[in-house]
Amino acid sequence: MEELPILTVSQREQFLVENDVFGIFGYFEASDVSTQRYMLEIQRDKQLDYLMKGFRQLGREFSSLDANRPWLCYWILHSIALLGESVDDELENNAIEFLGRCQGSDGGYGGGPGQLPHLATTYAAVNALVTIGGDKALSSINREKMSCFLRRMKDRSGGFRMHDMGEMDVRACYTAISVASILNIMDDELTRGLGEYILSCQTYEGGIGGEPGSEAHGGNTYCGLATMILINEVDSLNLDSLMNWAVHRQGVEMGFQGRTNKLVDGCYTFWQAAPCVLLQRFYSAHDLVHHGSSHISQGTDKDHEDHHDPEDSDDDDDSDEEDSDEGSVNGHGVHHTSTYINRRMQPVFDSLGLQRYVLLCSKMPDGGFRDKPRKPRDFYHTCYCLSGLSVAQHAWLKDEDTPPLTRDVLGSYSNLLEPVDLLHNVVIDRYNEAIEYFFKAA
Amino acid sequence: MHGRPRKASKPEDEAASAAKAVKLRSLQSQFMTYHHEKIYTKEAIELSTKLLEINPEAYTAWNYRKLAVEDSLSRIESDPNSVKSILDEELRVVENALKQNFKSYGAWHHRKWVLSKGHSSTGNELKLLDKFQKLDPRNFHAWNYRRFVVELTNRSEQDELQYTDDMINNNFSNYSAWHNRSVLLSSLLANRVDGFIPEKKIPDEYEIVHQAIFTDPDDQSGWFYHLWLLAQTVNVESPLLTSSWPSHGSSVILSGAGCLIGSPFNVITFCSETGSVPLILYFDQAVGGVSSLTVTIDSELKGNENLVWEPISNKSSQVSCVWVARLKYLISEPCESKEYKVKVRLGNSPGIISSRGFNFSTPYEFVFTAHVHDTAKDSQERIVSWTDGFELWNAQSKDLNSLATSDQLNAGIDLKWRQAAIDSEIECFRLLADSKIGKLTLARLLMASEAMMSDAVVKGVHYEEILQLYNDLMALDSSHHHYYKDEHSVAFLHKVTSSSESLSRYLFRYRGMNNLVCLRLNKLSLSRIASVEKLLFVQMLDLSHNELHSTEGLEAMQLLSCLNLSHNRIRNFSALDSLRHVKQLKVLDVSHNHIGKHSVDTTRYLCSSPLSNSDWSQDDVRRQNPGLVTKYWDAYFVLRDLNLKQLDIAGNEIAGDEFNSFVLQVVPKLVWLNGQKPGN
Repeated sequence: MEELPILTVSQREQFLVENDVFGIFGYFEASDVSTQRYMLEIQRDKQLDYLMKGFRQLGREFSSLDANRPWLCYWILHSIALLGESVDDELENNAIEFLGRCQGSDGGYGGGPGQLPHLATTYAAVNALVTIGGDKALSSINREKMSCFLRRMKDRSGGFRMHDMGEMDVRACYTAISVASILNIMDDELTRGLGEYILSCQTYEGGIGGEPGSEAHGGNTYCGLATMILINEVDSLNLDSLMNWAVHRQGVEMGFQGRTNKLVDGCYTFWQAAPCVLLQRFYSAHDLVHHGSSHISQGTDKDHEDHHDPEDSDDDDDSDEEDSDEGSVNGHGVHHTSTYINRRMQPVFDSLGLQRYVLLCSKMPDGGFRDKPRKPRDFYHTCYCLSGLSVAQHAWLKDEDTPPLTRDVLGSYSNLLEPVDLLHNVVIDRYNEAIEYFFKAA
Repeated sequence: MHGRPRKASKPEDEAASAAKAVKLRSLQSQFMTYHHEKIYTKEAIELSTKLLEINPEAYTAWNYRKLAVEDSLSRIESDPNSVKSILDEELRVVENALKQNFKSYGAWHHRKWVLSKGHSSTGNELKLLDKFQKLDPRNFHAWNYRRFVVELTNRSEQDELQYTDDMINNNFSNYSAWHNRSVLLSSLLANRVDGFIPEKKIPDEYEIVHQAIFTDPDDQSGWFYHLWLLAQTVNVESPLLTSSWPSHGSSVILSGAGCLIGSPFNVITFCSETGSVPLILYFDQAVGGVSSLTVTIDSELKGNENLVWEPISNKSSQVSCVWVARLKYLISEPCESKEYKVKVRLGNSPGIISSRGFNFSTPYEFVFTAHVHDTAKDSQERIVSWTDGFELWNAQSKDLNSLATSDQLNAGIDLKWRQAAIDSEIECFRLLADSKIGKLTLARLLMASEAMMSDAVVKGVHYEEILQLYNDLMALDSSHHHYYKDEHSVAFLHKVTSSSESLSRYLFRYRGMNNLVCLRLNKLSLSRIASVEKLLFVQMLDLSHNELHSTEGLEAMQLLSCLNLSHNRIRNFSALDSLRHVKQLKVLDVSHNHIGKHSVDTTRYLCSSPLSNSDWSQDDVRRQNPGLVTKYWDAYFVLRDLNLKQLDIAGNEIAGDEFNSFVLQVVPKLVWLNGQKPGN
């Protein structure tokens, strides 16, 4: 073996990861078709097994132990919902009852019964209850008290604190605004000064850091962007540089890194892909596409062709434009008339590549997902790998209402997950139900 | 959100973890009792210590300790020793908790809280940080805490800069250290701390980052820092006036609506029904505070003492690069041709401030001559043709020069060191120009160099090389093809506008309408508009047969009355949104685009917030035809704000009888639609 060049620390770690990842990819490429098909299979049964077991476990041991209980509820319930399933009534009732005990008498949810209400766990609890859906779950949330709690967490500077005397950061802002938006209790008091605070966290790279002065970071970039969209101030961010930053966090492994020069991590599949799709939809709404599309990856076209799909005619937004320059008196032929195809847009990141990373490198054979090879699985990564996978599968569509084409879904079409509402990360049907419910409640 | 559950991963650990869980559960329930009953005895506090050392994420316990500390402090009066021992204990607990999980938000926050009580020793804190930053040099909790300690203890930013030196020397791929360096330097340079003068420090920084980039061009960190440095080299803090219309020393003929017989060829003629002409101020960065208080007009033209200045921006904000006021010139009584000098002064009184908080500080004034003509009304509405009636404007470059002067650009800026720094970077990166990022950096440096050049002799020398670099990049890196293509267009337009000679090749006069000044930039593969600040005088613009997706940028061209966008890649009317600001626009050709081909159903994103207040004000069209307004909402929002007389939309998916009749409802004054008089 030839001598290795002297590497920086980051490069050495990167080298090891690439070695693992490309080892897996190489094995995949060399395998026969049926093995490949198996490797790409999401393994719904195993996933559900892992998740259901985890959820039942929640009910038995660890009761009120750690400060993350509503999170575990949300990660697991949301993962199950993404797979198009739900837990049985008894478990649902247990969850509603448990989360009810986490709800503070002055509003908001704590990490467990008796614990201080905390914005992050409040977000998790509300999203978990929205994911369960139905009157019983939704009516268990005390909106009036919640409204008071959110006001208490609001800092004079414009941002939010995680809890009484707690830290202030972009996560806190997002969780507060996400909850306020879903519960239909948003008002001027909550949004006052908030846009300026988030703006002060955007760095020269374009991403958003956790607090002013902090380095740009995937999770906070999602939180900051979603907040700005929800409070209708997204225009004031530098969206060009944000898009630029987010798309370039996709590395050679085709998974996303969380920050510049860090290693790939499956959970950023959601944190980075969701901002990309949000921005792209926003751009196509305002049709500033020429900025955003500067980063459109065309690498995916090749992947498409490898996919041998009968529908794979040249109907991509981009490919059909190259020839429509001169003399195309009617440059839009009949084969484009289907509205189904018209709803497509080219994702600004390599969506199939991202799906490949998640399915081959993050997915565990016995269910669950992980950060990267050699790491253990957990519910956090399972939730955000699955959420991100759903985002990637639906990234070609301008809205969530139409199913993606078979070629947009890597592996068999049975891998298709439920679409999520990108601003709150709950399955779209449950989101719609909640929005309607809380609209009437107001 | 990143509070990941820390779980035992091996089966043999399960027994241990179960035992731990039992212990933890009893601790937890005992703790909850103390917390709810507000018991702050020594025993109770120790129990919370145990709990936190096992589970630092138990944030309720951190809060309990804060209350307990307050309680103890209130009871011991102010014995400094007792205070110290109480707070020291808190620091100790945090340190142990961080050993258990150094990403615990609650633990770091508790430490900040203790320090805010005035209890700190910078030395200890930095030692502790050193330990954690060695453990994980990218730990952002530690970096955030570091910035907090530095601010609290007034530790000098120079010392901190030295620390990033050490971190980078130790491992130059540590982007967190580079990032912190950029934060520190920004502050040191902005506050002019001694020795921190940009012309001295920035060249040094280039040296440092070269070491990283040239040692290993494949590591990303240095390149990102280099990008930041380039921005520091190019950006000037205080805003400047880039250009204006009318420009300094120019003459304009102003008249009422209609045609002037024999309007002179070398002077711009501006006709308006309302008898007012736009004054345009174009700044190099977005500014606020442009008003009749900050901009004074001296002229005999009456009624212009308190001009209303408006920001031209798609955002609803009160800052913009482009500001416009309407100067009234039509005097009611008929008069002979008259000549007025108009002097515009700005920067004499403070108030024009950039969005980053810097004052427009270099006073500036410009003078132009307005010849006011009275015209015979000519209400004949002739169709504007894009095929004939054009004559090349073989204007003396003197005339053009006065049109396209760059007013304040580079005035009073210490250009020398900036140019020197960029020149030496260019030399340096020519050596690395075989990689993608090397080519891109070189292209950006060359563009920056052009922007700073004031010497007309050498200006423009770099454009061929820049265009070639972007061509290479398009071939080399197809996944970012669009981006390079856009940059190529920008560079090309900079080249066109870099001198009056190059510009004059594209300039024409249109005989059909008062010899309008027409710029023809058709068939150039443009995908993006740029250099608009140098084209403010253009009245007729031909951008047909390009690859444009949107008209963003054209909003500054307030004189524009005819625009040809046919054969481009406009996808919907929202892409024309910026034209709503161009009140002079009468003729618009968007035929043969992609409008209607891609459905736009993104209203949910536009109205995602319950607070969103889109201006769905009621009007006749909406009342009579709600269905069509919903169907064509993008066209509706744009067209109703324009004053079009002539519109071409043929060759778009959307075109058809239904849409045509909808257009006529929204724009009842339209005279020509798709080359025909409606109703014929």
